[in-house]
Amino acid sequence: MSDRILGAACVAVGAAMAWAAKDYAAPISYEPVGPRAFPLLLAGLMVAGGAWLVVKPTMNGHWMREAPLKALAFAVVAVFVYALLFEWLGFTLATTVMAVPVGMAFGGSLPKSLAGGVGLGLVLYLLFDKALDVVLPTGLLSFLFGGR
Amino acid sequence: MDTLHYLFNGFGVALTATNLGVAALGALIGTIVGMLPGLGPINGVAILMPLAFALKLPPETALILLAAVYMGCEFGGRISSILLNVPGDAGAIMTAMDGYPMARQGLAGVALSISAWSSFIGSLVATTGIVLFAPLLARWALAFGPAEYFALMCFAFACITGLMGDAPMKAALAAVMGLSLSTVGLDSNSGVYRFTGGDVHLSDGIQFIVVVIGVFSISEILLMLEQHHSSDGIIKLTGRALFNLKEVAHTWWCTLRSAVVGFVVGVLPGAGATIASAMTYAMEKRIAGESGKFGEGDIRGVAAPEAANNASAAGSFVPMLTLGVPGSGTTAVMVGALSLYNITPGPALFQQNPNLVWGLIASMFVANVLLLFINIPMVGVFTRLLRTPNWLLVPGILAVSAVGVYSVHATTFDLMLMSAFGVIGFLLRKQGVPMAPLILGFVLGDMMEQNLRRALSITNGDPGILVESNISIGLWVAAIVMVTVPPLLRWRARRRARLAPAAG
Repeated sequence: MSDRILGAACVAVGAAMAWAAKDYAAPISYEPVGPRAFPLLLAGLMVAGGAWLVVKPTMNGHWMREAPLKALAFAVVAVFVYALLFEWLGFTLATTVMAVPVGMAFGGSLPKSLAGGVGLGLVLYLLFDKALDVVLPTGLLSFLFGGR
Repeated sequence: MDTLHYLFNGFGVALTATNLGVAALGALIGTIVGMLPGLGPINGVAILMPLAFALKLPPETALILLAAVYMGCEFGGRISSILLNVPGDAGAIMTAMDGYPMARQGLAGVALSISAWSSFIGSLVATTGIVLFAPLLARWALAFGPAEYFALMCFAFACITGLMGDAPMKAALAAVMGLSLSTVGLDSNSGVYRFTGGDVHLSDGIQFIVVVIGVFSISEILLMLEQHHSSDGIIKLTGRALFNLKEVAHTWWCTLRSAVVGFVVGVLPGAGATIASAMTYAMEKRIAGESGKFGEGDIRGVAAPEAANNASAAGSFVPMLTLGVPGSGTTAVMVGALSLYNITPGPALFQQNPNLVWGLIASMFVANVLLLFINIPMVGVFTRLLRTPNWLLVPGILAVSAVGVYSVHATTFDLMLMSAFGVIGFLLRKQGVPMAPLILGFVLGDMMEQNLRRALSITNGDPGILVESNISIGLWVAAIVMVTVPPLLRWRARRRARLAPAAG
């Protein structure tokens, strides 16, 4: 079943690509092949490959059945929230906030994950920003660390 | 004799204090990354690549760092294979077959040291192979025009889909996805914005790092949630810590054979360490015949796959350096790293930038020696690191990944895109879609389109040019063989397996 879903998704994406690419044309053209050909070729291949999977699926059924959905959802949300808060909270705080749910999804207790997050946030900040000169956002803690 | 002269200069580059230090650091990090189950060379190289760039390392130093990490990973993977029965990276799967039984018999120290030794020999043979063959191939490739390059890239995709095993169609789709992603952004020939949806963040294309870290690092974290390895099962190091001369003599030819096979497999685009180690394991098992105790702790079963996976890692540098077409997912990431420096690998690099090429090759010799020293006496330190709990390790990986992505453009947009690629990559990998072809497609996409357009410009649109020269015809034939023969062989093997019980 799920190979069919993947195939159908590929067909849909390929079709959308083709639809978006159909109007790509250079205002003044110096070459026989413009900006449209290659994307259209790829869109065609994507649709063909997807259709193949719909007709001849190789993998059936068991997809995601045994997956730990709750932990997965936790981790996915944590990753996105981390990305959103990275600049605003600053690296150290954002890392602490991220490490608690992710650490707990991987079997750590609340105090352990919290301590791990604080430790990672501080150590990696000092390592990258101060020692290696890779500039990281300081966000809400900028009064402590200076910078942005 | 030119080669020796260049190699000598290369050692001049490799032995400067910075590059030596970077090689040692890379070797150390690589061994750790390779050892940790779930993290392989692609993750290691992908995470370190943006950092090397952000640290403003010169291109040859950055490349030396990444190469040392790659080689270190192939060394490190064996540690968890032998002590935990869980391969540290894909290339070390076969090492667990005999390494773990050896460790249970109290021979962990011997298994670890002989596998470090054969890893060393494998890398040494393959790096020598690079010195011998890369300049020849580069000189030959100078004659390539756009049509030949287009055919060559199609050949690379044919290899990676044909050899990928059970799901060639999914590998092909992954390659098409990668190619499609590479078309996002401004088309430099015509000034048309493609697939940007009007978003300024996408106008100069999707950042390579964002894709790589997303589909390898972030998706790996999600995959790790499903595989709980406990590190309690670690076998303690007891008994003899070093192999003896008899064991070296016993494994010598098998190591050497496997190294040569590994190198050849590594040079082929698409076929990587996993295939090389599985092939040589099967080969040595057959050669040993009745005398072997493969699967129960035969020392040759440890030496062969380790020599092969290290040799294939080094071998995969050959197509990357000489043709600009990477031979493995990891070298594809390195091509992406070079593109950050506006360097396009290819045959011209040997003439334009010999210090980079030969400095890298010389550094591979240096890193190999360093790795042998790191991996034999210090193996005890690494086994202690294997006990790092996942609740600390995984947030650490995530934080370092985000730092890498952020260090390039410093935008929240890139971080969000990274997360999205992580989820998409996770779903695709769950579905059995390999990610290496996707990365290869993403790296090669622009070059492929440019060469196609340039070739067709020469003939004013006549596609006949694509099959005009002997080189292109040869490459097309090879590509067709690559996609048709492996499935045929598999089909025949399956049929024979079905018929065998009926006949017997």
